[in-house]
Amino acid sequence: MMILFALLGALVIASAIGVVALRHPIHSALCLVLNLVGVAALYAMLDAHFLSAVQIIVYAGAIMVLVLFVIMLLNIKVEQPHRRGIILTLLATLAGVCFLGILAPLFYRGLRGFTDHSSKIEGTVEAFGELLFTRYLFPFEAASVLIMVAIVGAVMIGKRHQQGGSK
Amino acid sequence: MERTNAALALIPLFPLVGSVAAFLVGRVHKRAAGIIASLASILAFVWTAKLFAAMSAETVLEDVVFSWFGVASLQVDFTLRMDALGAVMCLVVTGIGSLIHIYSTAYMAEDDSVHRFFSYLNLFMFSMLLLVLGGNLLVLFVGWEGVGLCSYLLIGFWFRTIDYAAAGRKAFVVNRIGDAGFLLGIFLLWMNFGTVDFLELEAAIAGNMTLVGLCTVVALCLFIGATGKSAQIPLFVWLPDAMAGPTPVSALIHAATMVTAGIYMMARMDFVFALAPFTLAIVTIVALLTAFVAATTALLQNDIKKVLAYSTVSQLGFMFLAASAGAYWVAIFHVVTHAFFKACLFLGAGSVIHGCHHEQDMRHMGGLSRYMPITFATYLVATLAIAGIFPFAGYQSKHAILGALEHNVNPYIAPYNSWIVALVTFTAFLTAFYMTRSLAMTFFGKYRGHAHPHESPAAMSGVLVALAVLSLFGGWFLETRLPNFLEHVLAVAPGHASETIVESLLHSWVGIAGVVLGLLFYTSLAGVPGLVFSLFKPIGVLFQRKWFVDELYQAILVRPLEGVSRGLWKAVDQGFIDGAVNGSGAVIDTSGQVLRLTQSGQVRHYALWMFVATIAIVVFFLVRS
Amino acid sequence: MIPVSFYLTLAALMFTIGVCGVAIRRNVIVVFMCIELMLNAVNLSMVAFSRTVGNLDGQIGVFFVMVVAAAEAAIGLGIIIALFRSTRSLESSEASELRR
Repeated sequence: MMILFALLGALVIASAIGVVALRHPIHSALCLVLNLVGVAALYAMLDAHFLSAVQIIVYAGAIMVLVLFVIMLLNIKVEQPHRRGIILTLLATLAGVCFLGILAPLFYRGLRGFTDHSSKIEGTVEAFGELLFTRYLFPFEAASVLIMVAIVGAVMIGKRHQQGGSK
Repeated sequence: MERTNAALALIPLFPLVGSVAAFLVGRVHKRAAGIIASLASILAFVWTAKLFAAMSAETVLEDVVFSWFGVASLQVDFTLRMDALGAVMCLVVTGIGSLIHIYSTAYMAEDDSVHRFFSYLNLFMFSMLLLVLGGNLLVLFVGWEGVGLCSYLLIGFWFRTIDYAAAGRKAFVVNRIGDAGFLLGIFLLWMNFGTVDFLELEAAIAGNMTLVGLCTVVALCLFIGATGKSAQIPLFVWLPDAMAGPTPVSALIHAATMVTAGIYMMARMDFVFALAPFTLAIVTIVALLTAFVAATTALLQNDIKKVLAYSTVSQLGFMFLAASAGAYWVAIFHVVTHAFFKACLFLGAGSVIHGCHHEQDMRHMGGLSRYMPITFATYLVATLAIAGIFPFAGYQSKHAILGALEHNVNPYIAPYNSWIVALVTFTAFLTAFYMTRSLAMTFFGKYRGHAHPHESPAAMSGVLVALAVLSLFGGWFLETRLPNFLEHVLAVAPGHASETIVESLLHSWVGIAGVVLGLLFYTSLAGVPGLVFSLFKPIGVLFQRKWFVDELYQAILVRPLEGVSRGLWKAVDQGFIDGAVNGSGAVIDTSGQVLRLTQSGQVRHYALWMFVATIAIVVFFLVRS
Repeated sequence: MIPVSFYLTLAALMFTIGVCGVAIRRNVIVVFMCIELMLNAVNLSMVAFSRTVGNLDGQIGVFFVMVVAAAEAAIGLGIIIALFRSTRSLESSEASELRR
């Protein structure tokens, strides 16, 4: 079990670094897909079966396909390194290290003696669906409205402007 | 006293509606404005007369229009109330007002903004009726301020002439000073008695000798208000300037009605003044000085309206004299007769000005009796009336004033009664003299102008005749009826014994002397006035320059105020306040320029800053826990 | 059984990498992907917490995050296309109109 986690963790971190570090957007996107699949596997390890499936279908499937589609559509070239980018890279890395440095003692202190109920829950479709359609019914419906609005908005934004048209 | 409900609200409502209608309709149809306004005024008069006919001397008609407001313990209703005093004032206001409205339809016919004029005039009627019908001090004050506003609007009616607009402003500002005193008086009354209703106040105050101290202060405050509105020293300077307004306005507002508001208010609050003999003594002195100073100033004025204006100030002094002697009904009596003959004089002057094509200087008139006989006859009657000659209206009221002053029981004044009577008699003589002078300069001798004088139209001359008739018989008619009618509201001194006609004629010797002397000086002995003037040159100049009151105010009030204001403007406003404002602007501008450097417009940078801030927040909570 | 802190550490690392990506990269599509990375990190920590606490509420939260992410993807990509149309480039440094 531990070995599996170590492998998946290495995969996830490596692919995440790949997303940021690789020059070509297509490569970044493929790294991200890898990352998402890794996270889905981690979900499964945490007994979140339904989420694991949704992660693959929605994220790695739909969203990433959309991203790749846009990349292809716009025919993007490799990003050229920028002189001032190096300073920014250093700064950002520094900030990230600081962040992790701050979080580390927090984890250490806060999670010692944290009781684990790991055996009790299982994110099956049945359990998940029951909760979603009872207690979380309203947010669920609201989310559907949100999706609807997003679709309409995306269509409006993406619509090609008419020649000389004002709107 | 019996209190009955009546539709009093209708009286002021007519002119209010008329005001709006005259303005709206008059914009489209010029002539309609005058007709609508006159109709509204006449309707108000008719309604007043109808209510008046049904009431006895003891009736108090009451109309609570609506509950106005309640603040803490103060509950004020918009109450209208008409007792005998209110009824008399109401009749005068609506009656004289209607006549002047009719007169104005002809006088203002050629003006471009007649609708504005009549709208204001009706609005004035509305406010004045609120003033005299108000059942508590606050309603009265609303009317008080309303007439002040209308006065301002009408004085500055021809506001395109800068001087006229300035005259309106002066009237407004000077009135404001008096109003501050009036308001203080109202506050004091409310603080001590918790009500502003006249009847409730009267019940709480009347005859309560422990309140003498308070009443002295309150009465003084109220009197300060009255000096502003009724043009007494030291606040009388606005009234002569107010002649900038159209002549019917001068007749209605600045002679017959509004300026008597102070006397009405004093009569209404007589129970306060009755407990303040010290204040009454001050009133006596102020009124005496005003009457004398104004009369002497009127002696050498050349503008026909200025003569009448100073005459009005002087006559108002007479009224205050009567009121200060406790003879409130006499004061009201003089208000009424004065309304008759002064309105007649002003409208006569208006007729002359109209006939001479807007000439107001009497040096360019003369001999007009040939051209405008009706105006002349009415002006003559009114002059005799103001001179106080039997049987004209002014005689009875002036005689009553002298009688009241003779028997003044005020402890502070009583020892000097005979001196006061002598000075008042002399002032009455001066009145007769200067009015005869204006009559002679205007109507006798040869015409000295260049226009072609003509008699005024029927609407104007008819009104003049009506007022002349009132000036002729009004005093005789009211002499005994008025005190009987008012005795339940105002303290009425025991009436003086009736006298024979011969006695009356003898008693009017002062007026007759003044008139005769005036006639002699300004017709046959034309050289004498100049001679007298050169003999007493310093005094003459003093009179001619209006006792240098305006110059005095300029020196002791306006200049220092201007200096201080200038200092405040330069040092405090420009240096300090502007500096602070501009400085804070500059600080924000500079800090903005500095902070601008952090704004790169690059999304990445913002994201990084956000991340740093997140770290800071996490650190903050870590340190705290 | 793997301790929760392991998952959380993993999530923190992923999140930091995402933040650095947003700050470093100039290509808006990559920035977008980095944001997805951050969202995923948070999701992972939430699922881990869900197991620790012992109920499904955390997972429900993740579900809604995914919904929002889907909506965001639709809108975000639409904006990217619109941006490309107006500037003919995907450099985030080019889109600094507000500063001028």
